[in-house]
Amino acid sequence: MAPLVDMRSVVKVYPNGVIANNGVNFQIEKGEIHAIVGENGAGKTTLMKILYGLEQPTSGEIFIKGEKVEFKNPLDAMHEGVGMVHQNFMQVPSFTVAENIVLGHEPTERLFLDKKKSVEVTEELSKRYGLYVESDAVTETINVGMRQRIEILKILYLGAEILILDEPTAVLTPQEIKDLFKAVRVLVEQGKTIIFITHKLREVKEISDRVTVMRNGKIMGTMLTSEATRKGLARMMVGREVFLDIHKNAMKRGKNMMSIRDLSFVSDTGRPMLRDVSFNLYAGEILGIAGVEGNGQTELVEVLTGLRVPAAGWATIGEKVVTGKTPREVRMAGVAHIPEDRLTNGLAVDVSIDDNLIVDRFFEPPIRKGLLIDYEEIEKNGEDMIKEFGILTPNGQLPVSSLSGGNMQKVVVAREFSSSPKILIAAQPTRGIDVGATEFIREQLVKKRTDGAAVLLVSADLAEVMDLSDRIITMFEGEITGVFPDASTVEEEELGYYMLGVKRQSKKEMEALL
Amino acid sequence: MRKFFSNPAVREGLRVLIAVSSALLLGFIVTLFVSEDPLGAYKAFLLGPVSKFNRFGDWIEESITLIFVGLSVAIAFKANLFSMGTEGQLLLGALVSGSIALFVPLPAILRIPLAIIAAMVAGFIWGWIPGYLKAYLDANEIVSTLMLNAIALKLYDYFLIFHIKPPDAGYNSSDFFPKEGTLMSFIPNLPFLKGVYTLFSDKTNITIMLYILIIAVIAAYYLIYRTPFGYKLRMIGANIKFARYGGINTKRTIILVFAISGIFGGLAGAHLTMGIHTKLIANISVGMGFEGIVVSILARNNPLLIPFTGLAYGYLRAGANVMERASDMSREMVFVIQALIILFVTAERFLPTIQKRIEMRKENNTHMEKLAPSDGGSHEV
Amino acid sequence: MKFDLVLKGIFSAMFLASIMRISTPLILPALGGLITELAGAINIALEGIMLTSAFTGVVVSAFTQNIWLGVLAGIAAGVLFSAILAYFHLYLETDIILAGIALNIMATGGTIFLLYILTGDKGNSSTLASGMVPVVEIPFIKDIPFFGTILSGHNIFVYAAIVLTFLTYIMLYNTKFGIHLRAVGENPTAATSLGIPVRSIKFTSILISGFLASLGGLNLSMAYLSLFQREMTAGRGFIALAAVYLGGRRPWGTFLAAILFGAADALSNQFGTLDIPSQWVQMIPYVITILALVIYALRRKAQITEQTKRFQERELAKVNNNNNA
Repeated sequence: MAPLVDMRSVVKVYPNGVIANNGVNFQIEKGEIHAIVGENGAGKTTLMKILYGLEQPTSGEIFIKGEKVEFKNPLDAMHEGVGMVHQNFMQVPSFTVAENIVLGHEPTERLFLDKKKSVEVTEELSKRYGLYVESDAVTETINVGMRQRIEILKILYLGAEILILDEPTAVLTPQEIKDLFKAVRVLVEQGKTIIFITHKLREVKEISDRVTVMRNGKIMGTMLTSEATRKGLARMMVGREVFLDIHKNAMKRGKNMMSIRDLSFVSDTGRPMLRDVSFNLYAGEILGIAGVEGNGQTELVEVLTGLRVPAAGWATIGEKVVTGKTPREVRMAGVAHIPEDRLTNGLAVDVSIDDNLIVDRFFEPPIRKGLLIDYEEIEKNGEDMIKEFGILTPNGQLPVSSLSGGNMQKVVVAREFSSSPKILIAAQPTRGIDVGATEFIREQLVKKRTDGAAVLLVSADLAEVMDLSDRIITMFEGEITGVFPDASTVEEEELGYYMLGVKRQSKKEMEALL
Repeated sequence: MRKFFSNPAVREGLRVLIAVSSALLLGFIVTLFVSEDPLGAYKAFLLGPVSKFNRFGDWIEESITLIFVGLSVAIAFKANLFSMGTEGQLLLGALVSGSIALFVPLPAILRIPLAIIAAMVAGFIWGWIPGYLKAYLDANEIVSTLMLNAIALKLYDYFLIFHIKPPDAGYNSSDFFPKEGTLMSFIPNLPFLKGVYTLFSDKTNITIMLYILIIAVIAAYYLIYRTPFGYKLRMIGANIKFARYGGINTKRTIILVFAISGIFGGLAGAHLTMGIHTKLIANISVGMGFEGIVVSILARNNPLLIPFTGLAYGYLRAGANVMERASDMSREMVFVIQALIILFVTAERFLPTIQKRIEMRKENNTHMEKLAPSDGGSHEV
Repeated sequence: MKFDLVLKGIFSAMFLASIMRISTPLILPALGGLITELAGAINIALEGIMLTSAFTGVVVSAFTQNIWLGVLAGIAAGVLFSAILAYFHLYLETDIILAGIALNIMATGGTIFLLYILTGDKGNSSTLASGMVPVVEIPFIKDIPFFGTILSGHNIFVYAAIVLTFLTYIMLYNTKFGIHLRAVGENPTAATSLGIPVRSIKFTSILISGFLASLGGLNLSMAYLSLFQREMTAGRGFIALAAVYLGGRRPWGTFLAAILFGAADALSNQFGTLDIPSQWVQMIPYVITILALVIYALRRKAQITEQTKRFQERELAKVNNNNNA
């Protein structure tokens, strides 16, 4: 029988040169639950965005039920029965559940909305597919699980036969995950087909019929879930082909610069993002945090840099507590921060390079001179930084927006490094930038570490973590699952197991090493 | 040649020039239809302010008010804070300085500085209120400043009608300010300047406020571009998340921005009462606050350019006044021209500037960088 | 004593009826402001639209000697004026506030300018024989004591205001267009993802607000007064926006808030006879609006902190249980 969905030789290359999908052949059978797994950057979300019409492939074809299709936008895809449940819910908070489900295609009675019918339709769909929702509840008051069910019911209402769920369990509590799986099984019983994007291997084993592993834009393999092991999957997901060439002197660990104890954080949708995270940061060492994005790393960095207040726990530098303080206070304590999103936090793109370089020191001499700020100093500072960090620009008065991504990041790095920090927190420091800048920044990180700073490196790029770090911690679902005191002796597969929750070290094992 | 036109400043200037010329042309076409002597009328409009000395004075006086108001707006807008409150700050500044000029029994050398400082303080306070509401409660500053404008107007009217107006006055106005409360001409009354002095003080109301204005422009420029506070202001305006990440105390800065903007509004009020009218009258300002917004926007919120846009805007107004007196055209036509200028200059799609093109390219870059290679991954909703 | 005369006046039917009349030119533009606010395209130009329609109605009714033509022309002018706002904002990407300010300036100046050309008078249009819209006497009701005076005998715009509030409510909450409009204002990304045309909905909402504001303007020049006066809107366009926020951004709330402003105005006139300064009474609604803003913001904050706290406590409890286990 011809597959329900047949994607052939799909290639997707982005304008900045990144090859997200590299000749992917992917088939889905009717009525199956198919999981696609892979690390960040593997290409799984891109592939599904193409299937869903949000992106167009650079080349390749899609066939649905044997017919060739071309999706210019999600509505085209919806027309053919392909629906996607996003992570960012497309809902109007003040509307009721029923209103959100039928939004855009409301049943009408002549000129007016047929509200009764909306509720009827909602209840009917809800019952048929076992997706419990309160039709009259106001959307912003309900829990995340129900909000997700709204998204699912929405596309069922529009006639979706093929449902693509993008990391659906990322926002759910364990009970809600159980409910979701029950619902998924009902959907399949009713003749739907489900595609599941995830990196949670336990869930793959629990719910899916088949699983496809993607890595670096290619499909590594497709198999029956019953024949796959979590270890095997992890191995396929995580192996790498490129070995980075970083020269590192032996680590000379100094004193404990920052103590982090029992950090916990709950998001405002109620989900615990950090659970009892504890470790030490030592001078002269790069501590890398390996893990798929979304397992608490972002929140950890935000807590440690004063951008968030933890629900429990603390971090200290010497005697000083640095959690629950303002970013200024944290910086004054000697912490520098390369943020994971340079465009949102790290830079003001319409402002000059020179001005971006001084946000952490404009109020002190030499930039500040009495009541004023000294422009000559600012320009000189800019010149020095541009030279020292090789920022490609004719002068420092141009806005940051005139720079390439890599050079923009260099501005961030120049600023943060030049403050002579005792502690350096770098989150995704080489994401989205060219090779030259990447090499440079990595070298700089190592240099800082060798000069005695304590470096915390958070990166979704496992190769980067492994090559740069002296010691590695793995995080999964907000917890530390493993600590590896010597990064050079651990294999990526092994790390993969811990990153994906397949393996876990016990508290006792980790105690001495954190 | 191509290089000349791809310079962003040139394109901006060109845009403004085309907008202004189109508006003026349209105005002329209207005049052709309406007036019996269109050429005479339009000549009066375009050349009026420089034709007679007192008209020249009108132009400068109006412009001084407009520039003060423009500076007030610029300070707030540069921080991306949409304060509409200059109107109210102006009124209270006028009220307070006018009251002191009228009633406080001090010699001029003390009374006048006191009045001016009081106007600044009144403006500061009236700006502080919406600043606090915005910083700590995230209250919509457009609504709060509009409300405070209305309240300020009521306060002004109340005090004018029930406490300041002489009981036998026929209409709502105070007495003329006594000599001790009147601003002196900006030309000092020295023997060797006698001719110039008489000329300016007889035919114009250009007072020492002019000097204060010059200081204000320089002060505003320095404040925004050369002080740590100004740096904070600009970063908040450019990217408030960046400002917070970098350690700036955004709440405190926001309040100060509103309050300092209020100071300039207060000064505008002092100029209106003690400089131009030398008494407190009803309707002392009709929408000056909003015109100040226009002056600032046309100057891209840059204090050094505001004197120019203020003078240009003031020129149009003064020209319209002359036109009305010298012909059968009414001065209100200038408002239509002003409105057209605003619409054309602020229409981003009308001759998109290089700035816009860079922005659009930047948006694409951002989009791309967000997509690759951090593909997948679970982000919290 | 004068005071109890005033009290008697306040509680008289005449006074309450006058509140309705005074509030009408606030209710109508406020409804327009509400609709654009909910669509995410706040209309600052209500003032200008009202002036435009007020002027056009007077002029056309005078020259055609036909009241209804005047009304129609006034509406057409107002809607066209709002279309300019919509075009500049949605197609030429002008900031909507700047465009609104520009149009207000244009209307203020333009109406005086044209007034002068047509009548040679810059103050008002008294030389023009413009008309007034009819007053409606509702049979039976007009004979009820006390309430009859309040409910009957108003000009058509007063009744239109009430009916239109009702219609606005129906439109916003019971029609496809209304629900799409609210979706566009609250979450345009979601709306786009479902194929809802954001731009055309915003455009239509601005035109509708133009229609409503036009009625308010016509009310001023062809019912409340029988002529056009320069700047006769006297800030009502902005009070209308305040009423939208004070009324919690809902139709009947806006209606009541507008009446509050109108009542304050009427009250202040009454107090005038007592030599109590009217300004203090007039100030009340503005102060209330600011207080409402503050209260609303505080409530929002409290809500969020409470919710986060609840979650945190729940999770910490779990963690503690795990530790103890």
